[in-house]
Amino acid sequence: MSAALTGLRPEAAHRPRTRLRAVPTWLLIAPALLYMGVVFLLPLANTAWVSFSDPMPGLHNYIEVLTTPAYLRIYRNTTLMALLVTGICIVMAYPLALYIARAGGAVGAVLLAATGLSFWISFLVRTYAWTVILGSRGPVSQVARWMGYDPPPVLLFTSAASIIGMTHILLPFMVLSIYVVLARIDPVLLRAASGLGATRGQTFRQVVLPLSMPGIISGSLLVFVFCLGFYVTPALIGSPRDLMVASLIATQIEDLLAFGTASAMAMLLLGATLLMLAVYDRALGLANLMK
Amino acid sequence: MIHHDRPSRLNLVLALAVALFILAPVLVLVPMSFSASRSFEFPPRSFSLGHYAAYFQSDAWLSATANSLAIAAGCSVLTLLLSVPAAFALNRRQFRGQNLARALLLLPMLVPSIIMAISYYTLYAEIGLNQTYAGVLMAHAAGSIPLALIALSATVRGFDRNLERAAAICGATPWQGFRMVTLPLITPAIVIAGIFAFVHSFDEAVISLFIAGREVNTLPRRAFESIRLDADPVLSVVSTLTVVLVIFLFSAVSLLRRRAAMSR
Repeated sequence: MSAALTGLRPEAAHRPRTRLRAVPTWLLIAPALLYMGVVFLLPLANTAWVSFSDPMPGLHNYIEVLTTPAYLRIYRNTTLMALLVTGICIVMAYPLALYIARAGGAVGAVLLAATGLSFWISFLVRTYAWTVILGSRGPVSQVARWMGYDPPPVLLFTSAASIIGMTHILLPFMVLSIYVVLARIDPVLLRAASGLGATRGQTFRQVVLPLSMPGIISGSLLVFVFCLGFYVTPALIGSPRDLMVASLIATQIEDLLAFGTASAMAMLLLGATLLMLAVYDRALGLANLMK
Repeated sequence: MIHHDRPSRLNLVLALAVALFILAPVLVLVPMSFSASRSFEFPPRSFSLGHYAAYFQSDAWLSATANSLAIAAGCSVLTLLLSVPAAFALNRRQFRGQNLARALLLLPMLVPSIIMAISYYTLYAEIGLNQTYAGVLMAHAAGSIPLALIALSATVRGFDRNLERAAAICGATPWQGFRMVTLPLITPAIVIAGIFAFVHSFDEAVISLFIAGREVNTLPRRAFESIRLDADPVLSVVSTLTVVLVIFLFSAVSLLRRRAAMSR
């Protein structure tokens, strides 16, 4: 192609690539990396340092945190709560995700929008709503009274309330994780299964469920990780006797000013979180979150 | 032959039950905010605008709202300044340590807030940033950069680069090409990223609870203390107004997504 024909300056025709890149790559990425170094990594590094040095240098904070029976009970309780919430989320999210993926149309779109909307409403607003719903004069108690349970069972400030609240907040993650995978299943596979004589149940168990496992795994890892470090909901509507790790860490700082102990607990929680994320990365690739 | 690719009746019933659970808080909070009573009775026996009047007459609630809006707007700007260039580097260039950079920029989204909360609290105590706007703003932006990058990535990677090449071939300088071709194409994604950052900051409670103190009382902080201490019914008004704001932003994002998809 001649320069005269296209009316271009010759160097522009020969080197369009270099002309697209006026700004060097390092200049684009350096500010963000520098920011994260100072505002994210530095505070974490400081906490790590405090965990080994406050009030005196050594491993004593970690020894205390890993040998005190009361603390160990809280870690076990937190893990069990996280597993339970993850399980409940799978069971509740699956039918909704399946319906949205299969039905399409107006009902599917409304259900998808409702799930997305819930994602966006603040933790505190939703936790506050549960104090009303589960409260002694709320709708659940009214129904219980109407059914003959008088006085109605106490729900607020119990582990059950905490589980309901956390499930509500984390459910959209699970619904969307499963939905994304289900929506990609080729409907031809389902027709093939029924054409070959499979019942609805058989098609579900042998075709749909196995193909949706990646969504279940990805949703479960996310829900489990978020649950391990959950603070607001259990602290506000959970049982004061059934602490979770995050509340324990907050108490160490707010009530006891035990910075070393709190920092060691935070580092262990960070370790557990990173371990789960490494599993996620191995199985599904963390970078996929960005796609 | 029966096709099983349509959902069953049972599936519909279960899906609607779960959707009711998901929507329950909104269905309860909006009527509560119009209740005439100070108690948490639901459904309310009589309705009034009393709680709304109380909200608009309360300096404490109004100043918390103003603080939260200001910090969220600042967080949005700071986040965009850092993440728009980073999105180009991560999605359009190749460089050494790219995967590490991507991991570092995504990680703050996945680390539990309580860990960051005590880390900021401890570090800020040493350098005098506790109970300052700057301290809260910086912490919020660290958490919203990952969200902004997620919102930007698909668009920055996806649009037709031949448009940029065409601009360069027609003699546009790189800056002209960016301003006249690239920027208009990615504007919807930038607005979405800004909204994500805004909502993240506006909702952030755990870190603010530790570092904001009484000096920088944010809305979530005040809401947390209100649930814990006095169960102020004004909270149902604040919640309803927040839900309205979120529905507005959520619709804006949906519209922008549709427009961004069309320009691809």
